Amino acid sequence: MMEIQLIINDINYKVDIDVNMRLIDLLRDKLGLTGTKEGCGEGECGACTIIMDGESVNSCLVMAFQANGSNIITIEGLENNGELDPIQRAYMEEGSVQCGFCIPGLIISTKALLDKHPNPTREEIREGMSGNLCRCTGYNKAIDAAQKAIEYLKEGQNDFKNSW
Amino acid sequence: MTLNQVYNGSSIQQVMELLKEYKEDAKIIAGGTDIVVAMREGKLAPKVLIDISKIEDLSEIKVERDSIEIGAGVTYTQLVENGAFGKNLKGLIKACSMVGSPQIRNKGTIGGNIANAAPAADSIPPLIALGARLKIGSTRGYREVLLEDYFQKLKDHGLRNDELLISIGFMKAKDKEILSFSKLGLRKALAISRATISMLIGIDNGIIHNIVVASGSIGKFPMREIEVEKSLLGRSIDEDILDLAVDSLQESMDKRLEGRSTLPYKRRAIVSLLEEALRESNIYRSEVKL
Ligand SMILES: Cc1cc2nc3c(=O)[nH]c(=O)nc-3n(C[C@H](O)[C@H](O)[C@H](O)COP(=O)(O)OP(=O)(O)OC[C@H]3O[C@@H](n4cnc5c(N)ncnc54)[C@H](O)[C@@H]3O)c2cc1C
Ligand code: FES
Ligand code: FES
Repeated sequence: MMEIQLIINDINYKVDIDVNMRLIDLLRDKLGLTGTKEGCGEGECGACTIIMDGESVNSCLVMAFQANGSNIITIEGLENNGELDPIQRAYMEEGSVQCGFCIPGLIISTKALLDKHPNPTREEIREGMSGNLCRCTGYNKAIDAAQKAIEYLKEGQNDFKNSW
Repeated sequence: MTLNQVYNGSSIQQVMELLKEYKEDAKIIAGGTDIVVAMREGKLAPKVLIDISKIEDLSEIKVERDSIEIGAGVTYTQLVENGAFGKNLKGLIKACSMVGSPQIRNKGTIGGNIANAAPAADSIPPLIALGARLKIGSTRGYREVLLEDYFQKLKDHGLRNDELLISIGFMKAKDKEILSFSKLGLRKALAISRATISMLIGIDNGIIHNIVVASGSIGKFPMREIEVEKSLLGRSIDEDILDLAVDSLQESMDKRLEGRSTLPYKRRAIVSLLEEALRESNIYRSEVKL
């Protein structure tokens, strides 16, 4: 056992972890944040994608103790006061979701991309999602959703400016 | 898992002392993209893990006037996003930007790629072509080894269990030099369909003035392709340099891979790899001021 401190979705945590735990085990089994999914467990499918210190990573390849002192965002952290994040809204509106298993990871990858590059081309969006496998859809709807989210995020910024 | 002790490494010195204390029982973990998979598959069962991913001294890219030193903990993303790699170093950036996926590039490190020593490690051929040297440290002191020699004699030069790979350093490519990279096949593809080539070529008045060629997955480990270098050195770029390169590489492969079932396929596969590398050298050349 070992105690670590980290921030997850803007909340400070002090938790006891087992040294063998991966970050995905900590999130899902210990903290009940089950929005993050485990698919392959070996870095291939992206279902476990989270944002760690500003970068998208596979939480199945990070040991929990390595997150000591880190700032983590999971899919649960995207909604704001009961309002969906614009990226989540865009995924719903574009009908980008079938079984849904891959979607938390895809949405986090979309967020990681747009946080860094607010204006990606379609090709850059495809590349940004290339670490996420989806067995149901053909990815095109997810890319459409990302493009819609870009518009929402721009509008949001304008609304913000207008309110000043 | 037998793992029972873990450390959040905070400095190079502290990590070297921990390695001295635990020796073969301990393993370094950087990005975890190789080692976590290996532990889960039961291929590795360290008792102690030492995380180096938050040690700032290991994640710096130091750019001097003539040289670059990459900390062992630098990730592919950090390298690709660093503006210091000029156009004539594009081959290294290309190799790093083609690794895995964004998530893998955000975590995976250059040091991990080298220490893990997989035949298909993508960052290694361009670094060999650049003449990179490894800086390795332990409480016994520091040593340097040429990356090219490291794999040639892994038994002699490889990391000891109390050693930490600290950085990878090389001279910047000169104005008239271009580093290229070409890759065939995915990492998980069968070994037969994987191969990479990286070339550092310097051209002066249309003549190949200096050349270093390195390959990945064409031999047992990443290596210099000396015969290809010899066949192209001093040639004019207007000659049929592709044919010369193909003939000499195939000849080396015939000796090296004699009797292997992969030989006939790889003999053909390298044609397109060499073509891409040479084409890139020319394309890139036009972007570098001559
Ligand atoms: C889905 C997936 C796709 C991948 N695609 C590619 C690809 O396209 N090309 C490619 O080349 N690789 C690929 N890899 C392999 C891997 O990502 C790279 O080899 C990566 O560079 C490893 O770095 P790391 O920091 O994650 O290493 P870790 O897993 O942290 O460590 C690997 C090994 O190196 C040792 N080590 C690490 N750093 C040091 C150090 N500073 N000193 C001493 N020992 C050290 C560790 O003890 C361990 O034995 C892929 C992996 C996955 C899971
Ligand atoms: S579960 Fe982590 S990448 Fe598939
Ligand atoms: S919606 Fe089912 S896996 Fe993507």
